[in-house]
Amino acid sequence: MSERQKIDARGAFCPGPLMELIAALKLAQVGEEIEVLSSDKGSAADIPAWVAKVGHVHVGTTEQDGCWTIIVRKAK
Amino acid sequence: MAGLPLYILLASGEHEKIQLAAMIASVGAVSDRPVEVFVSMDALPAFRRDIEPAERYHGGPLHETFMTSKVPDAMELFSNGRMLGDLKMWACALILDLHHWEVEKDLVEGLFDGPAGLTVFLASAEGGQLITI
Repeated sequence: MSERQKIDARGAFCPGPLMELIAALKLAQVGEEIEVLSSDKGSAADIPAWVAKVGHVHVGTTEQDGCWTIIVRKAK
Repeated sequence: MAGLPLYILLASGEHEKIQLAAMIASVGAVSDRPVEVFVSMDALPAFRRDIEPAERYHGGPLHETFMTSKVPDAMELFSNGRMLGDLKMWACALILDLHHWEVEKDLVEGLFDGPAGLTVFLASAEGGQLITI
């Protein structure tokens, strides 16, 4: 399995982290995972909702000191 | 499956409202929803080519906060929506005429599909959800 791609979107506001994720997903292979770091609380909720809507996989979200790590797997 | 098409009629030149339109348009377009934006009235001057953000955006207290924080630029959000999703943008033919502007020469490069009239836009919008800002 290839190394998980990381996007550091800390400091960016909604919908910046989501847009960065979508741009990365366009280039990723199916099955590849992408990790988004975000300090934006709205994006921590919006990204899993978007992932569910368009049919990718939300692997999980963790939060530490106001920074969310959201992991997404490209499914199609 | 694509959702119900979203039509946004953007008439305000306030930064806050342009930002909201850009957020709705870009997120809608990347969420499997066709989006069309019709830019008219005081909103169109904000889409002029080659101007600095300080000249492009005007607004209230939130505008000041936008300008000093890492809020995505509205023009970039529209551009993202076009690049990553199904987003079409139209410049109001009336406002273009009044300013003697042309889409290809005077508006932000690559952002618009062309000039359009309100009648055509409203007819298209009958097939979807219309939001006026």
